[in-house]
Amino acid sequence: MPGEQLGLPIEPGGAPDRLPARILPMQPAEGIGPFDDPAYLFEPWWPGVRATAWVEGHELVRLQAAGLADALGSFVELADELPERLMDDGTVLDGWLLALDDGGWLDTELLRRRLSGDRSAGRPAFVASDLLWSGGTSWQRRSFAARRRRLETVLLDGDRCVVSHALRGDGTLLAEALARFGIEGISARRLDARHRGGPAGEAWLRLPIHPAEVVERPRLALIQRLPLTA
Amino acid sequence: MARSMWRGAIQFGLVTIPVKLYLATEQSGIGFNLLHASCLNRIQMKVYCPHHDEVIPRSETVRGYEWSKGKYVVVTEEDIDSVPLKTMRSIEIELFVKAARENAPTQFVKQAYYLEPEQIGAKAFYLLKSVLAEQNKSAICKIVLKDREQLAALNPFSKTMLLTTLHWPDEIRAMDELNLPEDEIDIKASEKKMAEQLVASMTGEFDADEYADGYRQALMNVIEKKVAGEKPEPQERAAPTNITDLMAALEASVSAARSDRTAVKDEKPKRATRKAKPATAKAAKAAADKSEEPRQRRRKTA
Repeated sequence: MPGEQLGLPIEPGGAPDRLPARILPMQPAEGIGPFDDPAYLFEPWWPGVRATAWVEGHELVRLQAAGLADALGSFVELADELPERLMDDGTVLDGWLLALDDGGWLDTELLRRRLSGDRSAGRPAFVASDLLWSGGTSWQRRSFAARRRRLETVLLDGDRCVVSHALRGDGTLLAEALARFGIEGISARRLDARHRGGPAGEAWLRLPIHPAEVVERPRLALIQRLPLTA
Repeated sequence: MARSMWRGAIQFGLVTIPVKLYLATEQSGIGFNLLHASCLNRIQMKVYCPHHDEVIPRSETVRGYEWSKGKYVVVTEEDIDSVPLKTMRSIEIELFVKAARENAPTQFVKQAYYLEPEQIGAKAFYLLKSVLAEQNKSAICKIVLKDREQLAALNPFSKTMLLTTLHWPDEIRAMDELNLPEDEIDIKASEKKMAEQLVASMTGEFDADEYADGYRQALMNVIEKKVAGEKPEPQERAAPTNITDLMAALEASVSAARSDRTAVKDEKPKRATRKAKPATAKAAKAAADKSEEPRQRRRKTA
């Protein structure tokens, strides 16, 4: 709600030294297929690289892609836009790094080139799905539902940074809708689960879906976590 | 009929196999001519002698070797023909090596040639080919081509053998100036495993027919349009869209899927409610174990 956004306490200068050096990421468990359950929030498993975005002093200071060195150098456009769209500081967002082609569609080859340091490859995007720190305070012990509400409040959708589209309870419906996008999985997160580093068990599941048509570029998931630089 | 560019014989030990050599590759790029921009006539490159300050015909040129700064010795065709090399008309096999990729010197290749055996040497030719193939070996040899003795590798290839000329060791640049910190890099076991999985998943048969020179084709299209008197149009690009458009498309897709479901539900009001599937493999096994129990809720939630 706009009112909530305007009412957020935004401290000038933020809390530059309060973010931890490292946050152990949650590791989703592999599921066997979509299901419906109101205790879960379902969203696309975007075909990109999972990453955390660290904003301190109203600047994007780190873009920690899973298994990679800091990817900020390859996604400089996000350094301009993300702090601008974020009505908060001392923040760590969890989400996906993606690359879009001229038509606005996800392109794995462009993403691969981006991760290799080619800044001219496609247009980068960050799709946020979780909020781990906000206002210089850890939100990891709060429920996913609370973190998600906070995320939707503090991050305003921009050209390159958005909160991921999600559905509560309707996993099979989302899987059906995603088939035409060639997206191969959905994320299912328990709304009452805390953020806990390491294996998430049933708190977070990656559920494969099988598109009706064979899609090209099936190897996107495989480029995740490869070392970007030494 | 292809025209051979060399005739001679493979020599190793006391065996002589007469063969012919054919270029295995050709340049398929688009060639341009230089024109005078004002009249569109082809320009000419004249051979100019600064000493006599005049343009001279090519027939008045000779080849010279600069043996000292500004000092040349003339090398004639006769001089070249008189070079006492065993490899002048032969492919002289020096040794056989493992045909492995890590055999570094054989990776600096220049040009590939097909070999065609003369009828009289066909049996020995295929005997050598089969032995190289079965033992996974390459023959390292020397041959004189284009006035130069060349180092080459001989390998079985399809129904023939391929002679690939190689760079001499003194033609291969050192890597000293490159920043190659291989010894300093610490690779974690998990990273290596991830990379191995990637390699394994992308391993397949290489089929060169699947690859094409897209730039050449695109350039030819532009040229053909100009020849036909049409003005080449710049490639159309979709209007820039952004990630929010993608989210909107996804939202529309969800709405469409929801509408489809509603329509089906209206047509079949007694259709059974979609049941939840076991979410994880573990849950699936548990569900299977309890297959005789009533399935009110198949997936155990945390």
